[in-house]
Amino acid sequence: MNLSDDGESRIRGYLFMLESSLRTFLKRDVVADAVREVESHIRERVRDTQPMPNERDALNRLLDAIGPPHRLARAYSAELAAGEAVSSGRLWQAARAVFALALNTTEGFAVGVALLCGYLLAASCLLVALAKPIFPDNVGIRWVNGEFRGAGWELFLEPGTVVTHGWWVMAVCAVVGSLLLWLTHRGTRRYLRRVSERRLRAAFGH
Amino acid sequence: MTVSTDSWTEQMRRGGLELAILLAVAPGTRYGLEIIRHLQELTDLVVTEGTIYPILGRLTRDGWLQAEWQASAAHPRKYYRLTSQGRRRLRLMVDEWRTFAAKIDRLVDAADKGATHEPL
Repeated sequence: MNLSDDGESRIRGYLFMLESSLRTFLKRDVVADAVREVESHIRERVRDTQPMPNERDALNRLLDAIGPPHRLARAYSAELAAGEAVSSGRLWQAARAVFALALNTTEGFAVGVALLCGYLLAASCLLVALAKPIFPDNVGIRWVNGEFRGAGWELFLEPGTVVTHGWWVMAVCAVVGSLLLWLTHRGTRRYLRRVSERRLRAAFGH
Repeated sequence: MTVSTDSWTEQMRRGGLELAILLAVAPGTRYGLEIIRHLQELTDLVVTEGTIYPILGRLTRDGWLQAEWQASAAHPRKYYRLTSQGRRRLRLMVDEWRTFAAKIDRLVDAADKGATHEPL
């Protein structure tokens, strides 16, 4: 079957959507290879299809058989994202893999929420530590009229606030933040490794 | 009842698909669509054609398949073949499969023999 311009742009649109979805959790070269392979599949199916009066219907049937781009992208994420993140160890890739698992499984969602809390807490601590040299008077333990009001970074202080132990708070936040980040990232990698190994065990029965 | 049976069949299908893909490339190199056609000819394991490609990607990354792009007359195709590691794994998987199937068959036979009503 020879495609019209409309048919051609329908295929381009499908591949574009697939590429966009895959880019959220896979490396560029992996994405390019996957899209090229799916395109090769589509082109061959088109070539084998008998010319039909309604090209649109024929193309829809063909693309339906492959599956919607977002579902195909989800299948790629389930198969590849966890393993890639474990082998590379990169924070961003691990986060993307956990996000992909969170969308697909209940366990993934629960673990994803827990890890997100860990990363956010670590980032907050590190932010407080980083803020001290920039806003030296706003980071520390806050007191109003001798009454404890809180600790950390407060951009807008209420009148009469006294801030003490700023450098101690910075040091503690830097240590706790780094420790939390390390522990959370370790947890993420361990979880992703377990997901990959579980898949292997499921495949080989041991 | 139908829903849980469908889910069970789906899980079995998924589990079998990886083994089926490895078996499809065991005799020699094949590209994605060729694997799909082969599986469609002999089984009903491939419901959505696209699902084959992510599995092929993972099997390649794990070192059980080797992939190579080859230019053909119409358009390039990505050919897959089993690596020696993949072939060892496949042998193990086939053994596991046969053992498992034999055990279930024995259970089915035992259930048939002991059936007080109609056989399974």
